[in-house]
Amino acid sequence: MTLLDFARGPAIHASLIILAAGIVLRLVGVLALTRGADLSRPRDAFGNFKGYRTVFSRAWPSSEFNAATVYQTVMAYVFHIATLLVVIGIVPHIEFITSLTGASWPGLPNFIGVALGTIALVSLLALIVRRLSKPAIYNSTVGDYITWIIVALPLLTGLMAFAHVGFRYETMLALHILSAALLFAYMPFSKLMHAFWFIFSRAQSGLAYAHKGVRI
Amino acid sequence: MSATASTQIFPSFEQVYQGLASQIGMLREMAPQPTKSDEKRLQGAIDTLIADTNADEAVWLESCIHCGQCTNACHYFQSMQDAKYAPMRKMDLYRRVYHRELSPMRWWHRLVTKPVKLSDFEEAKELIYDSCTECGRCTMVCPMGIDTASLVHHMRSAMVAAELVPPELAALRMEQKHQGTVFGSSPEKLKEMIDTIQAQAGVHIPLDKETADVMVLSSAVDLVANGNGLLATAKIMNHLGVDWTICSDGFESANFGLLSGDMALWKKQADPIVAAAQRVKAKTVVIAECGHAYPALRWNPMLRSGELPFQMMYMSEFLGKQAKDGKLRLRPLDEKVTFHDPCKTGRRGGAFDEPRAVLEAMGADLVEMANNKEYNWCCGGGAGIFLLQDATKLRDESFKIKIREVNETGATAVVVSCASCRLNFESGRQKNHWDKRVESLVELTAAHLIDNEAIDDEAPARGAVQ
Amino acid sequence: MAYEATLGDLLRSQGVSRRAFMKFCATTASIMALPAGAASAMAEALSAARRPSVIWLSFQECTGCTEALTRSHAPTIENLLFNFISLDYHHTLQAAAGDAAEHALKEAMQANKGEYLVLVDGSIPLLEYCSTVAGHSNKQILEDVCADAAAVINIGTCSAYGGIPMAKPNPTRAVATGDIIKDKPIINVPGCPPMPLAITGVIAQYLTMGKLPEVDHLGRPVAFFGENIHDRCYRRPFYDRGQFAETFDDEGARKGWCLYKLGCKAPVAYNACAHVKWNNGVSFPIQSGHGCIGCSEPGFWDMGGIYESVAKGNFGDGAKLGAAAVAGAALGAGAAVLARRRKSEVHHEEGAES
Ligand code: SF4
Ligand code: SF4
Ligand code: SF4
Ligand code: SF4
Ligand code: SF4
Repeated sequence: MTLLDFARGPAIHASLIILAAGIVLRLVGVLALTRGADLSRPRDAFGNFKGYRTVFSRAWPSSEFNAATVYQTVMAYVFHIATLLVVIGIVPHIEFITSLTGASWPGLPNFIGVALGTIALVSLLALIVRRLSKPAIYNSTVGDYITWIIVALPLLTGLMAFAHVGFRYETMLALHILSAALLFAYMPFSKLMHAFWFIFSRAQSGLAYAHKGVRI
Repeated sequence: MSATASTQIFPSFEQVYQGLASQIGMLREMAPQPTKSDEKRLQGAIDTLIADTNADEAVWLESCIHCGQCTNACHYFQSMQDAKYAPMRKMDLYRRVYHRELSPMRWWHRLVTKPVKLSDFEEAKELIYDSCTECGRCTMVCPMGIDTASLVHHMRSAMVAAELVPPELAALRMEQKHQGTVFGSSPEKLKEMIDTIQAQAGVHIPLDKETADVMVLSSAVDLVANGNGLLATAKIMNHLGVDWTICSDGFESANFGLLSGDMALWKKQADPIVAAAQRVKAKTVVIAECGHAYPALRWNPMLRSGELPFQMMYMSEFLGKQAKDGKLRLRPLDEKVTFHDPCKTGRRGGAFDEPRAVLEAMGADLVEMANNKEYNWCCGGGAGIFLLQDATKLRDESFKIKIREVNETGATAVVVSCASCRLNFESGRQKNHWDKRVESLVELTAAHLIDNEAIDDEAPARGAVQ
Repeated sequence: MAYEATLGDLLRSQGVSRRAFMKFCATTASIMALPAGAASAMAEALSAARRPSVIWLSFQECTGCTEALTRSHAPTIENLLFNFISLDYHHTLQAAAGDAAEHALKEAMQANKGEYLVLVDGSIPLLEYCSTVAGHSNKQILEDVCADAAAVINIGTCSAYGGIPMAKPNPTRAVATGDIIKDKPIINVPGCPPMPLAITGVIAQYLTMGKLPEVDHLGRPVAFFGENIHDRCYRRPFYDRGQFAETFDDEGARKGWCLYKLGCKAPVAYNACAHVKWNNGVSFPIQSGHGCIGCSEPGFWDMGGIYESVAKGNFGDGAKLGAAAVAGAALGAGAAVLARRRKSEVHHEEGAES
């Protein structure tokens, strides 16, 4: 079995199973805990419902916080959008998703894919540089750095494979798939779960504050 | 313009502050020592967190991505620029306990993390008490919307079980737990104060009426130090001509159960007030200008307040409602002022419009601070921190943000509506020789009532009828 | 077998001009990246070369490799060269049969002990009864013949890597030559079938230089297998622009767009198809409208469906993921239930205390 066979076969297979099981395990294991009750009378009868707006409104920090947050926010957005577009826009990725789900859509030309991948990687670098240069602000843990590496690897190996830099293409492709497999398997057990938590976390706070008539 | 008759009867707030500050030192000596074994204290803390953790807390603890957005939103970090005061650090210990005890991955965390020790809680003390007013400002910027303040509050409950409450709060908690009072206030003190007000200011306060539409609460600070607070309240109530009373078995707004994290004491303090209000068939309970009393009563999650026959209002809310209804007739305040939203009634209480309506009724030139309402900077003295000697530096440094914000408005006075805020502002004003006046909303309102004299004269007569 | 003419004689007798022969030598030399001047040296050496003794063993194979080399529709220098070196023993091509053939084999091995080349096509079954010649198993024959060989050249993917006979479920437990012979130089010329020029190129180099060419990590001559077909493909601009044929008869297919989505394995295949091409440089599979199936790569038959793109891989279907999610939900619910129980116990204790 070549490295590529291993990557495309057992590795990605196992990682996807871990991903699916892990995400659901962690979501259910947390969300099925007891629910606390706030018995106090809400400020206005249907007001609590408005709390759900926080899920969306928190997408951008309020201008009060601009000075301290704009760099992080912009870079994080650039990273997330570029990465998302790379993940769903590049033809090999679409083929991969199609084979899993059956869904298919037109891809982006390669030069755009490469540009987006590069932008994603650069924004990720911009984020780590700031994290390293402002330790007091971030209170980074080992986990933060491990996560950064695991997220950066697929981008790096993907770009290298495309550009035929480094090892032979099939080896780079295998490494790229393996790094994605690592990301999949790591995701449910790391802070990357924020991809799901953000909805619940924001909604909860939104509801708790809306109960008191406060828009957050 | 606050040079009314009242200031001559009772000491000025400047003196009140100085008197109280000297008392606080004594609290430390009165603090109880731990009584349980270390193992029991640790287990108690962990068990408390387990009991307090619902899905909401778990989600918040799971969600933090260490993005650092919250750090500069906290006045303590902003003023100290020290990593340890970053909001996300304040939930670290809670998260460790959660990971080991309740998280779906607990088997893994137990394998790879060290057990939590009592010394971990000891170390967390500074983060849980001295450097978090549970103001909620960090939640406003957190991209995950994590409510750090709630988590810190649960940690305070754990600290109670671990017998690690800071001495000042511990002393007051014990006093309230065993005597039902704080700062030596009592029903007798209340009676004394009411008599003094009647005798010296000629303002009648209807104590312990059988029934009343409005039941008004007071607070220890008003009874033992700042008589002007109660006097102003009485003047306003009489001016409005409402049917009101104060009950000697349920008058204390301050709740050191909430401040220290003792949920049982919280409930123990709230219950008599609810009972008294039901007995006198009150339609409205007005909570004195004591910020944390608002969450302690109005937003008490253990109290099914929707089913109670009365509504609870903060003083500023009550005044605002009267002003909006046109019932408050006020002399104009010809001055540029700014309003400081107490965290507990503002961001974490939702009473934004009402205090502003009162100032508007006075025709005041209200200038908002750059960060206002939901985004208001905490004064740094809330959640009991004003009392903590260990937090002095944190408090003083963080107050400079407030000074800057107020100065930028160009206002000559800042109006507050919370005794803690007011004490902290007064402290900051004196320490920094700050040229702004600090006004209490209720006292400012009382000072601007039209026809004060006429109403004062009528009041006893009406009281006698009932 | 007593025919001792040189290759030059043979070519002349077949009417191949010196000019054409020089061209062949130049092409071969350039593909194999030999130094300047090598072409004429090669021409000299080849013209003068006497035919070496070569034993061709065919095991589990389809004859495609031999066909590719010998059945081109016009005689080429490649197959003339091949004719020249052949063959003391070739299961398929030799005229002799039965005992005579076996005798010829013994004789060739004896006469050229330590000098003869062994060319192998087809894989070797470890279930030895699956394929035998004259009562000897393939494995036995390979071991015997290779014992005194100078080198082994694997012709085709079957002998090089196991090829189609080794494809899952590999009923004969087929293996490659290299899995059995460990002590001789082995060179792989894979492909299913391999390119004729690659076969003759290796032999030509061996004949003229007396050594085997440089190989990659899979034992293939770098000269022919050093380059990725995808990198050399004339459809690459379409790939880069994101223009793909979605079916074999759509607009894209007619316009000659990239065949990636139709399963072209060229991105992971190394061979000279795209630049040397087949049938005297006429065309190659991708040019004729079908994706590469990666036939020069180990395990190519099991690389996922021929029409499934490289990215699809072989990780099964979504159903397993659904099952995994259900398992996760069960574990999560279990964890939550236990946590809730733990909580209620704590509540209880606390209640008892106060
Ligand atoms: S709640 Fe307020 S004091 Fe506490 S960490 Fe957040 S911003 Fe700081
Ligand atoms: S802003 Fe929220 S997610 Fe970011 S570090 Fe602070 S608490 Fe964590
Ligand atoms: S490599 Fe392909 S062409 Fe050659 S013998 Fe094997 S199956 Fe046939
Ligand atoms: S047809 Fe195949 S080799 Fe050619 S560009 Fe497309 S994927 Fe690459
Ligand atoms: S194009 Fe691919 S499948 Fe076709 S012969 Fe060449 S290497 Fe083999």
